[in-house]
Amino acid sequence: MVRTGRASARNGRRAGRGPRTLAPYLYIAPAAVVLLVVFGYPLVRLLTDSIASPGILGQVDYGFQNFTAVLGDPELHRAFLNNLRLFIAVPVMTAIAVLLAALLHEQVGGWRFYRSIVFVPYVLAIPVVGIIFSYILQRHGLLNEFLANVGLGGLAQDWLGDRHLAIWSVWAVIVWQQVGFGVVLFLARLSSLDPALLEAAMLDRAGWWARFRHVVIPHLAPVIEFFVTLSLINMLSWVFNYVYVITNGGPVHSTYVTELVIYQHAFQDGLPNLAAAVSVLLLIFATILLSVQSIVRRRVEAMES
Amino acid sequence: MLDRRQFLRGLSVAAGLAAAPGLLSACSSGSGGGASAAGGDLLVWYWGEQEAAGMKKYFENQVKKYNTSGKDKKGDVKAVLQESDTLYTAFRTAAEAKKGPDVQFFWGGTQALEDVWMGHVAPLSDHVSKSFLDQLDTDARRETFWDGKQWGMPFYQIGTAWAYNKKMFAKAGLDPEHPPTTWDDFIAALTALKKSGVTPLGAGFKDEYLGGWLISYFGGQNFDTIDEAIAVFRGDTQYAGAKYTEWLDRVKELIDRGFFNDDVLSLDLYQGQQLFESQKAAITNSVQPQIVGFERKLGADTVGVMRSPVFGTGKLANFFPAPSQVLTITSFSPRMDRAAQFLEYLHTPAVMKAMYDACGAITPDKRFDTNWLNTQADKTMAQWKATLPNFWYQYYYPFPFERDGVTPGVQQLFQPGGNVPAAVKSMQQAIAKWQREQPAQVKAYKQWQLLA
Repeated sequence: MVRTGRASARNGRRAGRGPRTLAPYLYIAPAAVVLLVVFGYPLVRLLTDSIASPGILGQVDYGFQNFTAVLGDPELHRAFLNNLRLFIAVPVMTAIAVLLAALLHEQVGGWRFYRSIVFVPYVLAIPVVGIIFSYILQRHGLLNEFLANVGLGGLAQDWLGDRHLAIWSVWAVIVWQQVGFGVVLFLARLSSLDPALLEAAMLDRAGWWARFRHVVIPHLAPVIEFFVTLSLINMLSWVFNYVYVITNGGPVHSTYVTELVIYQHAFQDGLPNLAAAVSVLLLIFATILLSVQSIVRRRVEAMES
Repeated sequence: MLDRRQFLRGLSVAAGLAAAPGLLSACSSGSGGGASAAGGDLLVWYWGEQEAAGMKKYFENQVKKYNTSGKDKKGDVKAVLQESDTLYTAFRTAAEAKKGPDVQFFWGGTQALEDVWMGHVAPLSDHVSKSFLDQLDTDARRETFWDGKQWGMPFYQIGTAWAYNKKMFAKAGLDPEHPPTTWDDFIAALTALKKSGVTPLGAGFKDEYLGGWLISYFGGQNFDTIDEAIAVFRGDTQYAGAKYTEWLDRVKELIDRGFFNDDVLSLDLYQGQQLFESQKAAITNSVQPQIVGFERKLGADTVGVMRSPVFGTGKLANFFPAPSQVLTITSFSPRMDRAAQFLEYLHTPAVMKAMYDACGAITPDKRFDTNWLNTQADKTMAQWKATLPNFWYQYYYPFPFERDGVTPGVQQLFQPGGNVPAAVKSMQQAIAKWQREQPAQVKAYKQWQLLA
């Protein structure tokens, strides 16, 4: 009887499998079609373009010559290295944003005003920021004039003209602008923090730093992770506007980034296939980056549990 | 020209990107295939307002006159002014779809030939008469003559020279009416200007385009023929030796002697030129319409025009560059013959004069009457143009050579510790990279026989 009952149950599940297995696919079909059109087609097109090499007056060859060409390009190496340099901005702006958010969360006098001030740079258009800073950072620009006026003229530099400084000038502009986004994110998360936790910590005579370290930071951890991941992706594939407007890659190509190389191949050289090859490499690296982040997060979660 | 294109592109990137959808939506006239004189609007994408103010008004007037003249019975001409930043990108997108303008504007030389090699352009010489071609300026024709065919119709030329401040010259004890013509005189003049307390050379190199000017001013002075410029890219010879690289020593000399403004690397090209306009620098690199503008603003008693000082020993050392921008017939146009007819109209004497009057742009055509010229700078440059070799290096090398070799190479000369061997190496590497990445263009260079 028992055996028969189990068999019936199995048969019942089998009998119902056909319509039940099809239904979910039908439900997700519209979304899947949209995804295929929006992401699938461009991705396939990108991959096919990356292996195509148009010849003179129209004929096309296929192979990996585009990848060979771009991988041997020292400018791409330099650009990629600069993207990695910009990665250093991520912990810096995360730390600044967390600290500012924690301070503003304390609701010091005028905190609403300070919050707005901190966020203003983020809402400015990047080309506007770039143009403004390209003037501020000129050899005879506002920054150097300010330094001279406060008796620090010896610190004045050719911020955008010196090949050793230019990428770090761009770096500083990015940090200046992006910090506001982090502050708003972290403040939003802190607003959901149960005040009782902080009060309990204060009753235990925990100082500001102890509360920050043992209450605030753990509470912010998921948002910090989100912000860091997003910022890393930004530093890899969302810094073109800054570089294009502030330095256009110079001087001596010292501020090249990968996106600029893609832009040049696609729109200056008329070589969209080389641009596609670099894009594929960038996509692969971003995928690796996200995979590593995902693995690390799972391990951390496993250790915590 | 690339340098102007680039700096204007930088200025207009945002506007250009915003305009791109609109431009693409204007691609409605082309349908691909069909007869070469199909009906419908003849779509022209042109450019020029940015460097020859008044071009838009001139073009609109001429299109109106052409449409009402009844010369084209199959339809009207519709002209759309392009932004610098989308001139190439919008066209190439349209060309890939084989749906776009019937006539397309390009900056000249290799900047037009690149699209020829991509298959986007139809040979002009297949659609106009030989007598029409013979009337065009030969130097201008040469810039877009490839594989035995004429591809671009020279639209307007831009004499490229140096503007100098006569009053600053006089103050420094120099003859304001006789600017230096040799390198030694040039160095002496710059030294005197510096001693008088002014910045001798006003320039901007942050936006990377000054390198193209400098190589075009100085880089070909040891050439006997233009073919020596393209021989490097055909692979016939190396970019090495004094013939090719002496100009870098000369530029280095200018830098080491402190003749440039000290913020040259943190100013854009136009910001450097503004130093001249605001009379903070004595000399600047400039082009004909801009120099004429300086003259009209500051007066002919203040602004003079001088050619690049000569140091080279080649037959092209004593030269005057007057490169031309071009109009082309697109390879996907179903109205090629009608397009050719409109292009010929632009070269009729009355229309050429109208263009000069409207925007100061000179048509590279043997029928252009130099008596029409009305500024001293134009007259001086016309005289040079008539008597001296015309060669603009930038129009004969592939753009990546400039971007990847010339620009970083020269920029590093401005850096502490910058040196000529490193600049030469930068250029050699750029050529190697171009050969690796652009085999189709290398092949095109091998097919390139210059118009005699």
